[in-house]
Amino acid sequence: MKFQTLLTLLVAVNVNAFRNTLVLLDNQVIKETHSIFFKQLQERGYTLTFKVADDASLVLSKYGEYLYDNLIIFAPSVEEFGGTLGVDTITQFIDEGGNVLVAGSSETGDVLRELASECGFEVDEEGAFMIDHLNYDITDEGQHTKIVVPLDNLIDSTIIAGEKTMLTPLLYQGTGLLADPDNPLVLPLLTAQSTSYSYNPEQSIKEYPHAIGKSAVLIAGLQARNNARVVFSGSLSFFSDEFFTSPVQRAHGTEKHETSGNQRIAYAISQWVFKETGELRVKSIKHHKDGEQVPPTAYTIMENVVYTIEIDIFDYVEWVPYVADDIQLEFVRIDPFVRTTLKHKGNGKYEARFKIPDVYGVYQFKVDYNKIGYTHLYSSTQVSVRPLQHTQYERFIPSAYPYYVSAFSMMLGVFLFSFVFLHYKEDTPKTKGE
Amino acid sequence: MAKVGAVLKKFYTEYNTKTPKKLKIVDAYLLYILLTGIVQFVYCVLVGTFPFNSFLSGFISSVSSFVLGVCLRLQVNPENKNQFSGISPERGFADFIFAHIILHLVVMNFIG
Repeated sequence: MKFQTLLTLLVAVNVNAFRNTLVLLDNQVIKETHSIFFKQLQERGYTLTFKVADDASLVLSKYGEYLYDNLIIFAPSVEEFGGTLGVDTITQFIDEGGNVLVAGSSETGDVLRELASECGFEVDEEGAFMIDHLNYDITDEGQHTKIVVPLDNLIDSTIIAGEKTMLTPLLYQGTGLLADPDNPLVLPLLTAQSTSYSYNPEQSIKEYPHAIGKSAVLIAGLQARNNARVVFSGSLSFFSDEFFTSPVQRAHGTEKHETSGNQRIAYAISQWVFKETGELRVKSIKHHKDGEQVPPTAYTIMENVVYTIEIDIFDYVEWVPYVADDIQLEFVRIDPFVRTTLKHKGNGKYEARFKIPDVYGVYQFKVDYNKIGYTHLYSSTQVSVRPLQHTQYERFIPSAYPYYVSAFSMMLGVFLFSFVFLHYKEDTPKTKGE
Repeated sequence: MAKVGAVLKKFYTEYNTKTPKKLKIVDAYLLYILLTGIVQFVYCVLVGTFPFNSFLSGFISSVSSFVLGVCLRLQVNPENKNQFSGISPERGFADFIFAHIILHLVVMNFIG
């Protein structure tokens, strides 16, 4: 037991360095109502700094260095951040690799809407709730806004949502989001049921709702091109102690679950958004001719080449070898000339063997790996491929013998001819003289 | 037809009598080269262009030898003396040999 605590302490110290997190709240009460979520984070080694969102002393960076690695905004109704914080400073924070977890609600403030639209999401109008008249929880107060979301609506990626086995349905109360379907960087982490829609429950429906059915997103994620991660939840109460611990029962169903799946999903999503999972890196790259050990200064066309890449994944506390069977290597000269699947050789080591095409030029070994939930892995190594050397061409080809014979006969011909020619030359003056 | 025959016959007799023997030697040499070139070309048409560099060097060696031979013939022909006034037949022959050395170096390099 003692050893275990020591170990966790060590791990905590080890990872603390990049787990500084700023938590912005509407008011200090949220710290109490969401204590389980915050406690989970602290147990995983995060240093949480709680601030009220309109605190005048808010700063993200000092002397060009960020004070925090992650940002949690649990302040749905804030209209303007205090201190130097604003939408532009937060987007800059994301641009420079910071991770952000935002929770809105039906009263999402303008500053969060603006932040959401910077990240490719759209928050429904003020006062709008996700409403589902068929799948609401039994404890709902009559507006059918406390909805029960089955796990089928969760994104199909274990790296983001964790293992789906043994999970109970989720409880959700909040607004609906719209994600731009053309934006390949945006991921709908949790979508609504097809029977639900987003509208103000106080009003009768006059217009077509903005977000309906499966196209309404409840929790949206973004992995930017620099691999910074942003998660925007339409519901702050999704992360609350109340939803974490309350039983779930659909109003029209008989199946009763003791606790909702919220806690485990919130846990998995927070692990994803703060890059505890799914971060890939290239450990080493090697390439050489088949049968050799070191790369040549230039490859020759039609040679057999071996390319080896080692890929690591960050797995909660440390870098471990990454195992997959869908990583491809391209050998590119403007267009890919060779595209092959890398074979896993154990211990995160991948290998590809192929023959260089019969075209010379400057090529790149390119590994460009995009998988949902994982960071974008890109690696390119430039090599030059030259044509055969003068002495490397095939020689003494049987069908070329007539040409060889003729070339040598031309030489012999001129040799003999010059003898005859020169010899005869001496004769001519004699004949002329006679 | 008969006229063509007559022309050819006259050409033959004129060639036999008026052409210096030295030029006849050159002509024999040229004929030999021409035949070699034709044989190579026919062989290439029949067999295909596979060792293309070998074909090119073999054929080009014949063609170039032919061209050099013709040049030599022009320079040593007494009738063209006024055109090549500064160049003696010996000088012409030396040029011929020099050009051949260059030619065969290139051909050997390229024949593979």
